[in-house]
Amino acid sequence: MNMHSPGRPPPKMIEAFAHPAGSVAVAKDGGATQWRGVLLHIHIAPGASYEMEELAEAECVTGRGIVGDRYYNGFGTYSPKPDVREVTLIEQEALDALSRNDPPLQEGSITLKPSDHRRNLTVQGVPLNHLVGRRFRVGDVILRGGRLNFPCKYLEELLGLPVFLPLYNRSGLNCGIERGGIIRPGDEIELLST
Amino acid sequence: MTARLIMKLRVEKLSYSTPDVIHLKLVHPLRPALPEWSAGAHVDMRLPDGRVRQYSLCGDPADTARYEIAIKREANGRGGSVWAHQTLREGCEVHISAPRNNLPLASDGERYVLIAGGIGITPLLAMARSLKRSGKAFTLHYCAKSRSEAPLLAELAQVCGDDLQCWFSKQGERFDPALIGPHSPGTHVYICGPQRLLDAVQSSLSGWSEEQIHCEHFQMTMDENFKPEPFEATVASTGQRILVPADKSLLDVLREHDFPLPSSCEIGVCGSCECGYRDGIVLHRDKVLPTSRRQDRLMLCVSRARVSVTLEL
Repeated sequence: MNMHSPGRPPPKMIEAFAHPAGSVAVAKDGGATQWRGVLLHIHIAPGASYEMEELAEAECVTGRGIVGDRYYNGFGTYSPKPDVREVTLIEQEALDALSRNDPPLQEGSITLKPSDHRRNLTVQGVPLNHLVGRRFRVGDVILRGGRLNFPCKYLEELLGLPVFLPLYNRSGLNCGIERGGIIRPGDEIELLST
Repeated sequence: MTARLIMKLRVEKLSYSTPDVIHLKLVHPLRPALPEWSAGAHVDMRLPDGRVRQYSLCGDPADTARYEIAIKREANGRGGSVWAHQTLREGCEVHISAPRNNLPLASDGERYVLIAGGIGITPLLAMARSLKRSGKAFTLHYCAKSRSEAPLLAELAQVCGDDLQCWFSKQGERFDPALIGPHSPGTHVYICGPQRLLDAVQSSLSGWSEEQIHCEHFQMTMDENFKPEPFEATVASTGQRILVPADKSLLDVLREHDFPLPSSCEIGVCGSCECGYRDGIVLHRDKVLPTSRRQDRLMLCVSRARVSVTLEL
């Protein structure tokens, strides 16, 4: 895919709460509420398959994504398929579990560094699987949980690591951006009432 | 499909191996170790305009800190080498994929004959390093116009010692394929260079099995008399039926239908867009797939079909 096609239109995103998963969840109560988390790392990649680059701060744009990221630009591996991909998050706790080989699905532990998992934000203390159909704040930015992320074979091939099965059900959350702004590692994350 | 990570590497060292060949040493600005590779592997270089070019790694596979490539300026080439020569300097950033190996060294050989023409020496220099390290018997025949026009000659002489034989045409020396010797089951022949060298060597090895002769193709060698015909492709997983017109590739048409597919060279030599198929007569046209895998695999960039084909994307 040519990253440099002139006049390429911005990518089509499905609004997070309009996604089939988000639209069902948003109408129901439930999920973890008494938590407070923190943003550990921000990563973007300029194009499909490019190595992720860590940022000290990032600009989130409503309806679009993180400035400079492949999904913001429409150059991502999955950009041709409209979806909720403005910002993707993953839990540090899931990465820690992989490094302990918990559950023991593989021959041994897998070290999946924040620069390797290809989600934009690595967060701690945030129950991502409870945030489909929920609004939450990262610093001054407000995100909406659209659908759970699903591990892909593409990542497994790119990394040369058998991460597909170990990431099942803890592969993170794909979000839309309701209110844009600047985010930085260390930003507090909390649930907002809908 | 095999996805490969693309890294922004830094030109650590740039030197002229000959007046028209630059030798680049590339390092990662942050990571001390690059993805591992084996002799025969190549990397893709992404040009700023989105084009992709393949270059064989010529350094030491045991050196994980850097990749080495050599690029000959081809004024009448496809533009990648001219860009590299004009633009690249020490300290520059280049976009390089993790390596892929379409020309691996057979591990079970008893004797290896490596035959290079000009810039085709690059993968064979890496092979010579590996063979030397593992103590395997080999001879490297290096064909070039002259000593001063033979890229990487100093490195070769150091690595190979007496196992290197040079053939400089300006001195009236010509490599004779008879030097490969009689057919023997444990011998593997690797050839990399211009098409006429490949043809000359291959025609002299008529009694040898396909598994013993290994060629690197970095040029499209397609039949110019080939007339593409339209055909219909069915996507096995969805049942979708897609018409591929005569003037478009299967890869282009699938992308128009929103299938995000990897590709690199798009001339049937790199293997990035390999795909499974069934139910169809396929006109392969690629230079990657061995005959043994052509019954159910094809290359989306150049392969076509008679009337119809079913794809397993």
